[in-house]
Amino acid sequence: MGTVLLVGTTFGVVARQSGLQPLEIVALSLLVFAGASQFAMVQLFSQAAPAPIVIVSVLFINLRHLLMATSLRPHLGRLPLAQRLFAAFFLTDESFAMATGHFRRGGRSLAYYFTFAIALFVLWNLATVIGIVVGGAIGDPRRFGVDFAITATFIGIVVLAIRHRADVVIAVVAALVAGALALAGASTIAVITAGAVAPLIAVFVRR
Amino acid sequence: MIWIAILGSAVATYLTRSLPFAVTFGGRLPPAATRYLEALPVAIIAALVGPAVVAPAGTLTHGAEPLAAGLVIATVAWRRSLLAGVIVGVVAVALLRLI
Repeated sequence: MGTVLLVGTTFGVVARQSGLQPLEIVALSLLVFAGASQFAMVQLFSQAAPAPIVIVSVLFINLRHLLMATSLRPHLGRLPLAQRLFAAFFLTDESFAMATGHFRRGGRSLAYYFTFAIALFVLWNLATVIGIVVGGAIGDPRRFGVDFAITATFIGIVVLAIRHRADVVIAVVAALVAGALALAGASTIAVITAGAVAPLIAVFVRR
Repeated sequence: MIWIAILGSAVATYLTRSLPFAVTFGGRLPPAATRYLEALPVAIIAALVGPAVVAPAGTLTHGAEPLAAGLVIATVAWRRSLLAGVIVGVVAVALLRLI
């Protein structure tokens, strides 16, 4: 819960510093509600990436939800469709991890999932607003290196997500390919190309 | 333009969350496809780092960003803290750009 507050506030600060309007930032946290995607969108907006590139990048980052939702599906099977669709909106890495732990311990209550998942949503949006206020109060971002905060956040997310040696190779290849493409002047397609190609390594590497 | 991207991304994200809850798929994904999907988020986020470190202003870096990136990796790997990494990265890049 504390992490959500910190990361949410960081998001608000970074998004405000990048020049997004408060209403746009609030809409991101309310409607998209996905940390990594929202940071990625701020980065892509600052490079003036066209909307289709932004949407496809977000879609790729979030394809993992398909795996998480598929694994939770049996536990939500007894809910009516409308409630399942409502539950789906609040599915995040955190609520998935919590729900998986709960069901593995033999828990059956879905109120547990809804309470935790909706609390995360409320906290995330509160933190975003705090970040917007703080971010608006800081002056020129480049002078204090604040523009690097989003890059540092991404690096941290990647380091914490590394589980296998193959992950290191995939991350390094993705970063180098994207960097090379950006230097070559292909910055609009750099991220999506490198991000889609590098995971092919995982297909050929057995863990 | 920004609003189209925001609304489109919201719809795309919700679809990835809701499809398995709405429809029941028969059978299982092949293991290779599962491995690809599991590796995607790390790859895309790493791909976002590349241009920001190698070509921060569209041209080749003078060295501040790669050095700061190395410090962030070391800090997060050691402390397991995102916030510690961000603070070290921001301070390092601000100081290195002065040189």
